[in-house]
Amino acid sequence: MSSMKIRFFTIADYEEEEIWLREQHRNGLRLVNTIIPCFYFFEKCTPEDVVYRLDYKNNMQNGDYMQMAQDFGWEYFHSCMGWLYFRKPVSEMGSGREEEIFSDGASKVEMIRHIVRTRMLPILIVFLCCVLPNAWHFLEGNPMFSGKFEFVLGMFYYVMLVLYLYLIIRCGRKLKKLQKRYEGEMPYRN
Amino acid sequence: MEERIRRIYVPMTETGFYILFCLQTPQHGYGISRQVSAMTGNAVTIGPGTMYGTLAKMEKDGLIAVHSEEEKRKLYQITELGREILRLEITRIERLYRNSRGESIDE
Repeated sequence: MSSMKIRFFTIADYEEEEIWLREQHRNGLRLVNTIIPCFYFFEKCTPEDVVYRLDYKNNMQNGDYMQMAQDFGWEYFHSCMGWLYFRKPVSEMGSGREEEIFSDGASKVEMIRHIVRTRMLPILIVFLCCVLPNAWHFLEGNPMFSGKFEFVLGMFYYVMLVLYLYLIIRCGRKLKKLQKRYEGEMPYRN
Repeated sequence: MEERIRRIYVPMTETGFYILFCLQTPQHGYGISRQVSAMTGNAVTIGPGTMYGTLAKMEKDGLIAVHSEEEKRKLYQITELGREILRLEITRIERLYRNSRGESIDE
């Protein structure tokens, strides 16, 4: 038996996603697959407290990482849009910080920088070079959007403008906040 | 030594220090993690994400190199550049330690 749930997490909401997936597993649903932007496929299982962790590698990882995660007791089971999904039952954890795949602030800050470089920056460039100028022309009543098809296209740019603005501001602020918190966890920068 | 490398790694994080220190003998990621936990009485533990990221970064910067492969696991070992960095870091930590005991360092 499998079930699908719809839930939207932005690139900056991975901690919320981890908590949500842990809750699902506690309710007897283990994640098997995800499809962007918001579809989660679960399989019925015995309810258990299982910690989920996400790492953003943007497909730069190789098999060594999966092997290493397995050595540490983490099951790698899925990847989507550059994110790797790991999980580990609480019952298999000893004392210490085994709940984390990142054990210090520096490596978490590194992940944030990676997200900003490879996701936020391209989004910003597309926004500034394509979405913004086109939406601007449309709002100005530029004749290039006078036909019926052109009007639909213009509306599309306008919707994109709002969506991009929302995502850029929301994710930008959230990532900055996360980075600040992680920096507080490190003795000095590396 | 490149100034850039020196600036990045001195001072280094605890994680970085222990990984580099342990790689004076060839080891894979999980082996390093177990050694670090054992030698620090679990005060320092390293997770797989941090381990993989740090090893990849240190390899890219030439502080460590792949020594061999064993059952799909890469074994790493410190390089000459890595030893140089480790020496600098140990000297710095020794100074901190001696100063913390109220000793002064004479040049």
